[in-house]
This record gives sequence, C-alpha cells and structure tokens, in this order.
Amino acid sequence: MSIDLSVNIAGVEFKNPILTASGTCGYGEELADLFSLSRLGGIVTKSITVKPRLGHPPPRTAETESGMLNAIGLANVGVDEFIEKKLPFLEKFDTVVVVNVAGAKIQEYVEICTRLADCPRADMVELNFSCPNVEEGMGIATSAVLAERAVAEVKKVFGGPVIAKLSPNVTDIAEIAQACESGGADAVSLINTLVGMAVDIETFRPRLTNNTGGLSGPAIKPVALAMVHKVYQAVKIPIVGIGGIATADDVIEFLLCGAAAIEIGTALFVEPDTPVKIARDLKKYLSKNKFDSVKQLIGQLRIYS
Amino acid sequence: MSRIVVEDVSITKISDLKRGYFRLNIAPFSKAAKVKPGQFVHVQIPGCGVYFRRAFSIYNFNAADGSIEILFKVVGRGTACLAKCRRGDRLGIVGPLGNTFRFPLKKETPVLIAGGVGFPPMYLLAVHMIEKGFEGERIVFLYGGNTKDDLVDISRIRKLGVELILTTMDGSYGQKGLITEPLKRIIDDRCGKVRLYACGPEGMLQAVDTLACDNDVPGQMSLEAPMPCGVGICLGCVRPLREGGYTRVCRDGPVYNFGEVLL
Ligand SMILES: Cc1cc2nc3c(=O)[nH]c(=O)nc-3n(C[C@H](O)[C@H](O)[C@H](O)COP(=O)(O)OP(=O)(O)OC[C@H]3O[C@@H](n4cnc5c(N)ncnc54)[C@H](O)[C@@H]3O)c2cc1C
Ligand SMILES: Cc1cc2nc3c(=O)[nH]c(=O)nc-3n(C[C@H](O)[C@H](O)[C@H](O)COP(=O)(O)O)c2cc1C
Ligand code: FES
Repeated sequence: MSIDLSVNIAGVEFKNPILTASGTCGYGEELADLFSLSRLGGIVTKSITVKPRLGHPPPRTAETESGMLNAIGLANVGVDEFIEKKLPFLEKFDTVVVVNVAGAKIQEYVEICTRLADCPRADMVELNFSCPNVEEGMGIATSAVLAERAVAEVKKVFGGPVIAKLSPNVTDIAEIAQACESGGADAVSLINTLVGMAVDIETFRPRLTNNTGGLSGPAIKPVALAMVHKVYQAVKIPIVGIGGIATADDVIEFLLCGAAAIEIGTALFVEPDTPVKIARDLKKYLSKNKFDSVKQLIGQLRIYS
Repeated sequence: MSRIVVEDVSITKISDLKRGYFRLNIAPFSKAAKVKPGQFVHVQIPGCGVYFRRAFSIYNFNAADGSIEILFKVVGRGTACLAKCRRGDRLGIVGPLGNTFRFPLKKETPVLIAGGVGFPPMYLLAVHMIEKGFEGERIVFLYGGNTKDDLVDISRIRKLGVELILTTMDGSYGQKGLITEPLKRIIDDRCGKVRLYACGPEGMLQAVDTLACDNDVPGQMSLEAPMPCGVGICLGCVRPLREGGYTRVCRDGPVYNFGEVLL
C-alpha cells in the first residue's frame, strides 16, 4: 500500500506536510549541503524586510532548558537582494517556496509583497506579524484590527496564497486568527516565539544584548499545541502548526489538533536532517496504523466533552 | 552527495590526558577522508540535558578506517558529560564543518601558534603541511598555556620534527611568559618571510592579530563563538567584521585572515 504524505493548503499541493520554519533555514543554501530541499514539503525563508538589516549585536542566542532564546533582530539581506540572489537558488528544487515577510508598518508588507507578486518562485507569502525582537512589528501582532487590515492590503497586491503567522504573546490568539481570516488570509501559521529572558548570575547581565528574546524549541510545544487546538475551533482556513517539533510523533500531535501542515524550527539546529527523518517516521506510523493518507489525521483529536 | 553529514558514531577510544583534558576517537565517520585542517564537528552529547551540540576541532583523522579524533578540555556541563563517556558509547556528529587555512608559499616559514585548547587544529595543520611536502624542521610551532598542565600531547607534536617552542605563564614548563614573546622575536628575526596561523584563547588571538597587523605579516586565525547550529542557519554565532556587518563563525569561518574580524 502506498502511503500518501501530500497535503493541500489554499490550493497549493505540498508533497508532505513538513516545512522548515522562517529564520531557522536561512534561504535554503546551507541545508542543501545536507539533503536535497526537494525532500521538503516546503521551505519558509528567513523574514525579509524592505531594507537589509544587520540584526542585533551578539550574543543573540542563549541555550535554555529544552530550548533556546533568540534575539537575532531580523538580520536579512533585504527584498532586493533576496529576489536577485537568494530566490533563484531555490528554482532547482521541487518544493513549495513560502517567502516570509516582516515590516514595521503595513505599507512595508505591501511594498515587499508587491515585489514578490512578480516572482513566480514565491509560491506563497507568510506574514510575520510577531517577531518579538523588533518593537515596531509587535503592534500588528497584538491588534486584531491592524492584523486584518494588513492581510487585506497584502491580498490586494499578492496574487498567491497568503499565510498570516501569529504571535503567542497575545491575550486571545483565536481572535487574531479570526481577524486574519476576515482580512482574507488563506491560512494561519502558529506559533512564533514566546517572550523570554535568561540572566547571567556572575555578571548580573541578561544573556542577550537585546535583554529579552524569543523562546523556541521543545519547551514551547505544549503551548503551541493548545493554541493550534484553540484556533482550529475558531477558523475555517487551514492551520500550519509550529513550535518545538522534533519528531514524527510531535507532527502527529499537531495534525490531530488541527494543523494541516507543520514547520520545523529550532530542531534543525540540533538535528539538521530532522525533516528527512520525520518524513520516514511519519510513513511508518501511518502504515502501522493502517492509514493511507496523512490527511486522515488532520483534526481527528477526540476531545473530552 | 551531501557535503555535510549527520551521523551516529561510536567512541572507539577515550584517553584521560589528566588535568581535565581528554582525547576521543570516534568512528565510523563517512567524511573522515574529506577533513581539512581547521574544520570541526558538532557533537551531540547524550544524557546530560544540554540542548545544543558542542563544537570541537578535528584533531586528527584516519581516512583508512574512517575515524577522527578530538581533544577537549572539561569546562562545563557538556564537556564534563563527554568526559564520562566510555568506549562503545554512541555520539551524534554533524560535519565536517567550517572552512580551512590557506597554504603557505614555498618561501615562507609557517609559524603555528597554539594556546591551550587551540592546539588540535594547529596540530592537524602541521600534519597536513608535512604531508604536502613541507619539511617538519621548516615549521615553527609555538605551544603555550598557563601551566605545564595545559601543554598536552607534547610527545605527538615532537614526533613531527617541527621547531617546537613551549611557553607557560608560570614558568612550570618551557619558556616563562606569554606565547607572543617568542613570536615577536621570530617576526623580527625572519622579517618578511613568515606566515602565522593561530588558535587559542581570545586574549592570545587579540595579541597575535595586533602583532600581525602592525608588522604586516600575513596569516590566519581560527575563532570561537557559541554555536547553536554549526551549519550557518541560525545566525547565532556572528562576530563583527572590521569592514562592517557580521560574519557567521561556523560557516564563513572559523578561520579568518588577521585584521578581518573585530576582536
Ligand atoms: C569551532 C570551535 C572549535 C572548538 N574546538 C574545541 C576543541 O578542539 N577542544 C575543546 O576543548 N574545545 C573546543 N571548542 C570549545 C567547546 O565547544 C566548548 O568548550 C564547549 O562548547 C563547552 O561546552 P560545555 O557544555 O562543557 O560548557 P558550557 O556549560 O556550555 O559553558 C562553559 C563555559 O564555556 C563558555 N563557552 C561555551 N561554549 C563556548 C564556545 N563555543 N566558545 C567559547 N566559549 C564557550 C561558556 O560561556 C561558559 O563560560 C571549540 C569551539 C568552537 C566554536
Ligand atoms: C534563531 C531563530 C530565528 C527566527 N527568525 C524568525 C524570522 O525571521 N521570522 C519568523 O517569522 N520567525 C522566526 N523565528 C520563529 C520560528 O520560525 C518559529 O516560529 C519558532 O521558533 C517556533 O518553532 P520551533 O520551536 O520549532 O523553533 C525564528 C526562530 C529562531 C529560533
Ligand atoms: S552556529 Fe548557527 S549560524 Fe553559526
């Protein structure tokens, strides 16, 4: 029996539900030294901004219990260089390219997505509303009104599907997800990192020059699952689950909670070939449990009433 | 074919070199034959609760049996745990990672400067130069530490037949004082014909970098930074470049020309 790992999000076919998360796979060049990117369902590129950004001074990362903090500060090459030098590299791979976009104002998202609309290889865009390391960006992430408007404005200029990436650092993530859906988002992805801190008790200094950073890795998986579960009940558009995924079992948990696909982030740092291993193990699970398609798992959680 | 591999390997030998230093042989590593001096492996240390891998320079490799060797000092949780491993234990490694050194010109005298745990890549570089036809006696090898406890595996480097100069801060072995003292003399004596290679603690590298830049001596040094991923995808290991911007030590380095990085 052949096992079908493919999923479909907003009309885009993914050969498997495994994507790599923005900011954890660069623009693909480095991971291509380890495995063919064609083995991925999709790749979400590092957030790009209108102008290049150097990012925050080091130290920008700190190891924590079961995870890490980062305050990279959206270091990226900027939209011009991205289109000219980074996107062409991804041409040769048979995988969905999701371009992650960040900005300080709605106008910046619109400007970047207008440019991307002319790039056939930018299959989808993911709007990063939630980078906790850049103060300005947080406004959109925490405001349903702004998030809805941002999605609506981007939808006017970008022809392909638009994913809104949500921050967990809000009172009610379902409300923001619904606002994005109203704005015309084709899907939502969640979660981005949680605000966190680590302190050096010898120097009395925070371990990051930015003082605070974003927590990611296995530590955040339970939070992410609860949020995916909540959003699944609140919206009709597909959900891309993110947060602490490192194994096929983790992926299955997210699918059961309602995610139609998932992104792998921090796990790539520890085990750069995680996506390859997960695809293999996912097949094993499906075959062992007599499923022929991964789609049969999506949203199948049996909640206690 | 992947240039970098993620593999499970076995510890084939672990040697306690005393005073907190250990030597570890691991195999089989499918890229052992491809290793270049200055490159490192990222090692997952099981059972100690540290989340990230730890970076270690490749100390030696054996293309025939696919083994590599690392030399490390216990400084924290991960290295303490690694030191407790036994023969037969499994480790995950990613590698080979990073760039390598530029080869010296025929007319130049290579001067290798190793401080403490910066010794492994300098040793491998010396081995490589000799394999490529440099006579051992034409290579100057400076090896320094705080005390004689920091000068490990001296017998190995002696066997290469290099001109060996040992220094300790407390004078417990070799010449007393900073490694840069004999280095200054060498630069003065052989002006214009040396190429320096350095790896060691930050303070030593700063001093060597300044000496090299002030005296217009070419060469390179291998840097360190905490490395979450080791493969260039997290942007966590960056250091500032003199010309502005940042460099990823794991992928653009760890080997840099003198004067290139702001120390
Ligand atoms: C390219 C590269 C090659 C290396 N080669 C060797 C080698 O051949 N032999 C060897 O013994 N060590 C080497 N190191 C250093 C080694 O990676 C660290 O000693 C190790 O990560 C410490 O882990 P730990 O869990 O024991 O210490 P931790 O508990 O993580 O830290 C202990 C102390 O060391 C500091 N530290 C931790 N990691 C680093 C790092 N990467 N750079 C600088 N300071 C750090 C911490 O700030 C802390 O003060 C290398 C590092 C790099 C980046
Ligand atoms: C070092 C690092 C950099 C990141 N950069 C970005 C980014 O540029 N844009 C973005 O939308 N998310 C970024 N993220 C968040 C991840 O895409 C992901 O949402 C988050 O890390 C949770 O997933 P994980 O636990 O699997 O890492 C970054 C995460 C890390 C660890
Ligand atoms: S350690 Fe991740 S980019 Fe260098």
